[in-house]
Amino acid sequence: MQILLVEDDVEAAGHVVNGLREAGYTVAHAADGEAGLAAARAARHDLLIVDRMLPHMDGLGLVGMLRQEGVSTPVLVLSALGTIDDRVEGLRAGGDDYLVKPFAFAELLARVEALLRRASGDNRHVGTLRVADLEINVLARRVTRAGQPIELTAKEFQLLEFLVRRSGQVVTRTMLLESVWNLHFDPQTNLIDVHISRLRQAIDRDFGPPLLQTIRGSGYCIKDPGAGA
Amino acid sequence: MKVPPRFFSSTARLAIWYLCAVALGVSALLWSAYLLTQHAMDRNVDLVVETETESLREAYRGGGLKRLIDILDQRVDDWGRLGAAYLLVDSQGQQLAGNLSIWPTVYTAKGQWLEFDIDVTDEGKVVDHPVRAEVVKIGSNRLLVGTDVSERRRFAQRLRATTLWGMGLTVALMAVTGWWFSRRVAARVRAVAQACDSIISGDLTRRLPLESSADEFDQLAGTVNGMLDRIEQQTAAVRVTFNSAAHDLRAPLYRMRARLETALHSAGSADAASRATAEAMRAAIDDLERVQRTLATLLQIAQAEAGGGGVPPEPIDLAQMARELGELYAPEARERGLLLRVEAPGPAIVSGHQQLLAQLMTNLLENAIKYVPSGGAIDLQVRGDKSQVHVSVNDDGPGIPEAAHASMLLPFRRLERDAGAPGSGLGLSLVAAVVRLHHGRLDLQSTAPGLRVCCSFAALNAAALSAAPPAGAQPPALARPRAAHA
Repeated sequence: MQILLVEDDVEAAGHVVNGLREAGYTVAHAADGEAGLAAARAARHDLLIVDRMLPHMDGLGLVGMLRQEGVSTPVLVLSALGTIDDRVEGLRAGGDDYLVKPFAFAELLARVEALLRRASGDNRHVGTLRVADLEINVLARRVTRAGQPIELTAKEFQLLEFLVRRSGQVVTRTMLLESVWNLHFDPQTNLIDVHISRLRQAIDRDFGPPLLQTIRGSGYCIKDPGAGA
Repeated sequence: MKVPPRFFSSTARLAIWYLCAVALGVSALLWSAYLLTQHAMDRNVDLVVETETESLREAYRGGGLKRLIDILDQRVDDWGRLGAAYLLVDSQGQQLAGNLSIWPTVYTAKGQWLEFDIDVTDEGKVVDHPVRAEVVKIGSNRLLVGTDVSERRRFAQRLRATTLWGMGLTVALMAVTGWWFSRRVAARVRAVAQACDSIISGDLTRRLPLESSADEFDQLAGTVNGMLDRIEQQTAAVRVTFNSAAHDLRAPLYRMRARLETALHSAGSADAASRATAEAMRAAIDDLERVQRTLATLLQIAQAEAGGGGVPPEPIDLAQMARELGELYAPEARERGLLLRVEAPGPAIVSGHQQLLAQLMTNLLENAIKYVPSGGAIDLQVRGDKSQVHVSVNDDGPGIPEAAHASMLLPFRRLERDAGAPGSGLGLSLVAAVVRLHHGRLDLQSTAPGLRVCCSFAALNAAALSAAPPAGAQPPALARPRAAHA
C-alpha cells in the first residue's frame, strides 16, 4: 500500500512516516504543496494524507486540482485549525476524512486503514453482514447470533453495523462519535465505552467466543477470533 | 431583543403631538385677533353713538326740547343717509322727531343699548339692516340714537370666515407635512434597522444606506458605517489571530505528542526506571490532550462569537437532537447513579449551526452529570411553540449561587468549591456564545436545590421548512466524512 504524506512540519512528518512504515505501509513524503502535487501526479498512490496549511500551495488547492484531473485517490486532510467551517471546507474540496492536529497516531492509523479498506473493497451494498456466527440483516435491521435473535435499540444497531462493516479494523471513539452520533467534537466524558459495553452484553455475553474487542489506547474492533486475522 | 412595532411610529406620534400644539397655538392666536378686532370695532361704534348722544343732550340743556327737535331734524337730513338712526318720543310714545317712525318692538336690550333691525329700501328691495342704538331719557321724553351696523357685521363675518379658514389651512398643512416627515423618517429608520438586522445576523459586510442629502441621518449612517468598518476589521483580525494562534499552538503540540508517542513506543519496559519514564510520558500525553481540548473550546467560542465562521445556518430539530443526546448520555448518567430524563416531544425546529447547538446541549448535560451527586436527577426538556423553542436542563444538584450566575458565563470562571473538579471553566461560556450567535436568551435559575439552565431560540416557521427539510441530528450528506459510509 502506497501512501503519500504532504506535510511541511518535517519533524512531525518523520514520526508519521515512521509509524506508518512500522504498520507496514510504503510512505513517500513531500514537504510543500508543489512537491506534493508533483509526487501525486508522478506515481499512483492508494492514499494521500495532506496538511491543510502548506507553503507554495494550500493543501485544499492541491486536493481540488487532483480531483479536477480525475484523481480519485482517497484523501485524509490534516488541519491545525479545527473549526467547523475548516472541516466543511476540507470535505467540500474533495477530502474524504478530516483530522485535527494534534492527533494520537492510533487515530490516524485507524482512519488510514478505514480509507484504504473502503477504497479496496466496498461492502456498502451488501444486505447481510456476517462476523463468525453473528449475522446482521441491514435492510430488515435484524441481528442474530448463532441463530438467536438479538434485540438492539436503533443506535446500538447503528453502532454494530458501523463496526461490522469494518470488521477486523480498529475503530476509534472519535470515529464512532462522528459517524454514529454526528458529533464532531470531543465530549469530556467517555461515553462510547459505556455504549460499547452495553453492545458487548447484547452480542457477546450469552454466546462465545467474544467478538467485540477493546484495543487499548486506540479503540474497538469486531472480528472473528477463528479467522486469525 | 426585538421590540414589536407600534401602530404609530415614534415619528408619527411626534408629528401628531407637534401638529396638535402648533394648531392649537395658531388657532388661539387667530381667534384672539378676531375677537380683539371685533371688540375694538364695537367700541368704536359705541363711542361715536355716545358722543352724538352727549352732544344732543347738551343741545337740550341749552335750548330745550325745541332746540333738540330742530337739531334732530337737521341731523336726520345730514347724517340719515350715512346710516344714523334717531327717534325722539314723548311719554305717550308719540314721535316728536327723528327718521324712525315708531319705537322698535322687536329688539335685544343690554343696559341702555338696544339692537334691532330696520327695513331699508335698497335699489327697490327691502333689506333688513341691523342697528345698534343708545337710549337716554331727556326730561319726560326718550331719545334713541343709533347707527346702522350692517357693514360692520359683514366685515366681522368675513373676518371670522377668514380666521376659520386660516385655522383649517394651518391644521391641514401641518397634517400633510407631519405625515410626509414621519413617513420619510420612518422609511430611513426602517432602512437602518433592516441593515442592522442583517449585520446582527452575521453579515458584517453590510453597510447602512446613505442618501446624498448629507443630513443628520447620513451623518449617523456614516458614523455607524465607520464603526462597522472597525468592527469588521477587528473581527477579521481576531479570526486571523485565532487561526494563527491555533496553528502556532497546535503545531508544537503536534510535534510534542508525536515525539512522546514515538519515545513511548520504543521505550523498553524491562526495568522500573523506564516504566516510570513511560508513566510520565503517558501523563504528559494526557495533559496535552487537556490543553488541546481547552484550545478547541476557546476556538469554538471565538468562532461562535465571530458569527459561526461562515457556515450558513440550517434547520435543526432540537427535539430530535435532545432525544439522541439523551440516549447517548443516559448510560453514563446511570453509571454515576443519576437519573436522566428527556422530554422532547414533537419537532422543535430552529435555524442554526448543528455542531455548535449539539455542543451547547452536550455541555449542559456534562455539567449536570459532573456536578450532581449520585442519586440525583437531571431533566433535559425541549419545548417548542409557534414562536420559540426552549431547551432546558434542570437538576437537583448543588446549583450555583444566584450572585454568581452572571460571572459563570465568563470564560475560566468556576466556583471555588469546584476548583478540584476536572474541566476548563469554559463550558458555560461556550453555551452563552452559542446562544448569542443564535440570537437566543440564556437564563440561569436557582431551583433550590439545583440549577435550571434554559436557552430560548426563535422557532423556524413552517414556510421556511418546506423550502429545506430539517437536518436534525443527521448532517447533510456533504458534511459527513465519506469514510463514514465505508
